[in-house]
Amino acid sequence: MAEQNDILEQHINKDYEWGFTTDIDSDTFAKGLNEEVVKALSKKKNEPEWMLEFRLKAYRHWLTMKEPDHWAHLPYPKINFQDISYYSAPKKKTELKSLDEVDPELLKTFEKLGISLEEQKRLSGVQSNIAVDAVFDSVSVKTTFRETLAEKGIIFCSFSEAVLEYPDLIKKYMGTVVPPTDNYYAALNSAVFSDGSFCYIPKGVRCPMELSTYFRINATGTGQFERTLIVADEGAYVSYLEGCTAPQRDENQLHAAIVEIIAHKDAEVKYSTVQNWYPGDKDGKGGIYNFVTKRGICLEDNSKISWTQVETGSAITWKYPSVILKGNNSVGEFYSVALTNNKQEADTGTKMIHIGKNTRSTIISKGISAGFSNNSYRGLVQIRKGASNARNFSQCDSLLMGDQCGAHTFPYIEIKDKSGIVEHEATTSKIGEDQLFYCKQRGIGMEKAIALIVNGYCKEVLNKLPMEFAVEAQKLLAISLEGSVG
Amino acid sequence: MIAEKSHTAQYIIEKISPSAGKVAFMNDTVLSKALLFLEKNGMPSNKYEDYKYCNVDAILKKEFKNIEQKFNQQVSVDAFKIADTYTLVMLNGHFSSTLSDTISEKGLHLSALSNMPELAKTKLGSIANVESDAFIAMNTAFSADGLYIKIDKNTVLSKPIFILHITAALSECFVNSRVLIDLEEGASASIYEEQILIGESKAFTNYLSEKFIGRNAKLNTCLIQSQSQLGYSVNTSQVALQADAHYDNTTITLNGQLVRNNHNVELLGENAQAHLNGLFTANGTSLIDNHTLMDHRVPHCESNELYKGIINHKGIGVFNGKIFVRKDAQKTNAYQSSKNILLSDDATVNAKPQLEIYANDVKCSHGTSTGKIDENAMFYLNARGIGKESAKKMLLSSFAQEVILKIENPELQEKIDQAFTNQI
Repeated sequence: MAEQNDILEQHINKDYEWGFTTDIDSDTFAKGLNEEVVKALSKKKNEPEWMLEFRLKAYRHWLTMKEPDHWAHLPYPKINFQDISYYSAPKKKTELKSLDEVDPELLKTFEKLGISLEEQKRLSGVQSNIAVDAVFDSVSVKTTFRETLAEKGIIFCSFSEAVLEYPDLIKKYMGTVVPPTDNYYAALNSAVFSDGSFCYIPKGVRCPMELSTYFRINATGTGQFERTLIVADEGAYVSYLEGCTAPQRDENQLHAAIVEIIAHKDAEVKYSTVQNWYPGDKDGKGGIYNFVTKRGICLEDNSKISWTQVETGSAITWKYPSVILKGNNSVGEFYSVALTNNKQEADTGTKMIHIGKNTRSTIISKGISAGFSNNSYRGLVQIRKGASNARNFSQCDSLLMGDQCGAHTFPYIEIKDKSGIVEHEATTSKIGEDQLFYCKQRGIGMEKAIALIVNGYCKEVLNKLPMEFAVEAQKLLAISLEGSVG
Repeated sequence: MIAEKSHTAQYIIEKISPSAGKVAFMNDTVLSKALLFLEKNGMPSNKYEDYKYCNVDAILKKEFKNIEQKFNQQVSVDAFKIADTYTLVMLNGHFSSTLSDTISEKGLHLSALSNMPELAKTKLGSIANVESDAFIAMNTAFSADGLYIKIDKNTVLSKPIFILHITAALSECFVNSRVLIDLEEGASASIYEEQILIGESKAFTNYLSEKFIGRNAKLNTCLIQSQSQLGYSVNTSQVALQADAHYDNTTITLNGQLVRNNHNVELLGENAQAHLNGLFTANGTSLIDNHTLMDHRVPHCESNELYKGIINHKGIGVFNGKIFVRKDAQKTNAYQSSKNILLSDDATVNAKPQLEIYANDVKCSHGTSTGKIDENAMFYLNARGIGKESAKKMLLSSFAQEVILKIENPELQEKIDQAFTNQI
């Protein structure tokens, strides 16, 4: 027992590795939000008139909405939206032409995070072939491999650039999956989003490398509002990665992002996230509020969207990556590992909306709670009338470590078609004493045994991650779990 | 001023209060709390998370516009009796001693709620919190009378008790009915209940039972709901179990336009066990909603839930079960399973199985599945010369057996099996 307590102590005292700040000149808006701020933001980015209209419409709608009451299993104080700065960007001297012109401080920052902005560099010790769009506070700093991708006709750039360079595509797709009126934070994001990534894979193209966005919050008192839009045209394939970190601060910072994915006929999009925002200290002070709307639509037949997430950070996570299965034979997948420790709160899950015929969805969710945290799975499986032969399988497992934490499961299952087959299973337990005993008996120490068991427990999900990410995720889990005890 | 949302509640109160009279046996503070709650919250609509799939407010508004509260007092109960049981009759919310069997058994105390011993009144409303649900509040404020059953320490009843709840309506009506069952330490009893409706009018029954199960006591219950397609009911069962106590319930819903069952079980003492089983068929435009809460408050308790539904035509089946394990309730074992078969294209199933767990050394799981009749099984039977219709009956009946076999009394089992087969 003493050993267990020691290990637990160590674990709880574990510091956040990415909590440093970068000392960099930045151009930050004064705190507060009103129509002028939205206009100034739009002007700053030289946006066309239609974009400003989109923002203002969203803003006016946001004003009419109420902050979601605490329907989620998340207690947190009311957010003062006037106490946030809605734009912060590293000061640019001139237009950047090559990497050499990027502020060396910035490069160092991303280097430190293991994200190389110099092409063909190593990431997490594995030979990397990933195109990265690095977002620092409100703006995209650098998108790598653009030329290589352009040869194949793939567009991968920051959202701001896309608005200027590919207005037709943006106009056609933006807001079609997550309309600005969707929910409170989606409306807020639509009004004040600062940057993000845009990706378009043309017909029949299989993207030759992993695309990735790396989000970094640096400035204090800001919120990060970015949007990602991924469009896979007929027969296209892309695997997309997202990573995020933030400095260690006592204040809570808001991150309200939107991710939209559109998959046309026979297209496949795989979206993986390793979310490691600053979770706050062990007393629950500081940390990021992560209120994200992620949704994909399988617009046409035989398309596939797959979400994989490893959630270890954020003080509060409120995130439901969803798939609308509109095309016949389309497939939606959701694989998630959510780990909460100390006073973290996570309320995460998915929505699978079956509309087309012969649609299939799989949900595998693994929750691990430790410390004083609460970890909830909340998901919806809906089979609409006419969605014949729809198939869903959901499995939600929770692992409890320590006796002060909570694990919850709130699935919603709505079936309106008799040919649908839906299965849902959930279990909650701690690490089995007999499993631990088995390992220890074979000379595996407590700590290693736990890592082994937890890794096995998460394997179904970790296996779905692209290799570079799987390495990072496994390391992250090992760090976050170091010393946790069943 | 009456708020818009309490409109339905206000209407019902106006209509039923003259006939209900003053609820003399209820504590005054509880009464005023109940009325305040009703005024503030009204009847629950789908805006309330607990009634998300069961918009009772809208149903009441639509279907009960002319509540007149005219009842038929002349009924015969012989056809409903079950052999070798004590029959007790509740007629429109009142305990009818004339229709009931006269019972004299040592250790068994029966009376109308209005005549219950002064000492027992403290128990009334003690586990059915008027501020937790509008139907509990409504029942508490307007139950004209009800039934009180107490079984003394270490008494084992020689025969099961059968309570027949009759709503005999001559017009649209709203009936509040209430039962209190109190088992002292070591007592053991089987109590079966059936809800029926007599008359050609729509009737809404708001039934509330409070069950106290003392240390090492054992209560086995079964509720059969056969109110016909004119019946609308909300049935709340509040159960409190002390250490080593044992509670069994099987709820069979054969029909009813709206049936909402709230089954809330509190496990208050160690080693207590609760088992809830349910079987329902939803035909026509029925809405059958089973809502359970297993509240594990102490360590070493066990709970099981098994709910099965067959939904046909435009029926809607709902299952909402919550396993709630409090912080100190270590070594809890809790299982929950819900299975549904959809028979038609217009049928709907909404399921919301929930786990809310604050203790780490527990084993909890839930599973739910929904599908159609297994085609392979169907083919197997067809290949052996069994027609589509009878094969379907066979398969549905076997689906139901898992629940029906949980009923301990063979007479009752037979009766339910018959009724069930007729329904499908």
